[in-house]
Amino acid sequence: MNKSKFYIDAGTTWSKILEITPLNERKYSIYPTSEARKFDIKYEKMTGHTSDKNSALYVNEVVALAMGAKAHLENNFIALDLGSRDIKWIKYKNSKFSDMDWNSSCAAATGATIEMLLKFYDVKVEDLEFCEEKYPVTCGIFGLEKIMDDVSKGLAPKIAISKFIHGIAYNAYNFTKNPEKICISGGFCENKCFIDSLQKYCEVLPLGRFVLVDGLALRP
Amino acid sequence: MTKDIIAFWGYPHPNLINKTKLEYPNATWVDLDICFNYPSSKFTPDAYCGIIKNIFDNAFYLKNRIIKILAAVGKDKCDSGFFAANLLKNEGFEVEISFFEDTVPLNQLNDVPICKSSLPLKEKLSLITANIVEQKDYSHLERSNARFGFWGVPPNDLNICDLFPPQTHVFGWSRCVEAKNPANFELEMYVETDLPTVFFAQTFCSKTALAKYLADKYNGLYIDVDAIPTNSAYAKIEAFLRLR
Repeated sequence: MNKSKFYIDAGTTWSKILEITPLNERKYSIYPTSEARKFDIKYEKMTGHTSDKNSALYVNEVVALAMGAKAHLENNFIALDLGSRDIKWIKYKNSKFSDMDWNSSCAAATGATIEMLLKFYDVKVEDLEFCEEKYPVTCGIFGLEKIMDDVSKGLAPKIAISKFIHGIAYNAYNFTKNPEKICISGGFCENKCFIDSLQKYCEVLPLGRFVLVDGLALRP
Repeated sequence: MTKDIIAFWGYPHPNLINKTKLEYPNATWVDLDICFNYPSSKFTPDAYCGIIKNIFDNAFYLKNRIIKILAAVGKDKCDSGFFAANLLKNEGFEVEISFFEDTVPLNQLNDVPICKSSLPLKEKLSLITANIVEQKDYSHLERSNARFGFWGVPPNDLNICDLFPPQTHVFGWSRCVEAKNPANFELEMYVETDLPTVFFAQTFCSKTALAKYLADKYNGLYIDVDAIPTNSAYAKIEAFLRLR
């Protein structure tokens, strides 16, 4: 009897899992990585920061992003994946790989920081709105300092966090070398404040959180 | 302790190497550019070229054994080599400076069989640097069909080379060394236009400007690495080799 095939993008905070059933149905799910680690599942391929990079099943995250994005997009695109602790992007021109970058070293100004800020200030992500002003977050630590200074002076935390997110969006735009359009992969697709902030600078197409696992399933 | 080491960095002029070999036939030759993981001398600022840091760390660790240092200080090395030579002289080392700036037109250069061979990249770079002193003939090596290019100096941490397939040809300063023309800028800037190439330089080295320029011009991958490559550097090279 045929069994389902499983693919996992095991991120720092969240693990995205794709199950392809024997009837070729695709089932997507998300779990905290701490929980997903306990699952007794045999994966076909894996990617993500917390997956075993020495495993024969491991696929480089940029490669998974490229494969997944190609399935969604036309010949020319820039796909950016902004995760809990890293940021990476890939550019395709005339259906061929053209450029890329990956910063996995500085986690200060990415998804995990936003999640911590939301918990710390007890703010819901859906309450965040685009804010015309932005904090400079080239260094996330200085950005956090700005938030705390402004909140202590009476600024509403949700406004301060929105300014921080605007700073992250501006960084993402610069990191990808100021393109006309960016396709976004990862948890920030569900962050309207981030998408609205990035749209101030370029056209934005959210691809959702499962681009990398889609890429794994495509890769031979 | 008996002094038994002739130390050097870069590519000292062959005439100087040969003269020193005759003068000290039993000496052990040590390339100070290489990371041997000796204790830090803390001689340089933290933000400084990893290769030049190696020179200081190695020199001070081996000080009691070093007879003399052959120090490349010309355009075949860098300003930091010139500074290192003078600072080590101030610290009591016997230092003989070397300029190896002779250049030959590209069409008259020696062939570079190691750079074009099918040896693993790490072995290619190790042979090229070892051959500065050994001066062996490698013309018998089988030439490979290039799939990728590696441009630059031998990295401080050669483990990064393991990411590349054996069909990786070598360019940049490493190729200049094999061609016995370490100051040949024309050869240093030479790449194969359509060959996907990783342009590597040590962080804080002025060759980063060349690497970035060439990577932009030839749609290659620019990488600068300090002492030990970050996960980002490994991952970017891996992705570049997979996707190009």
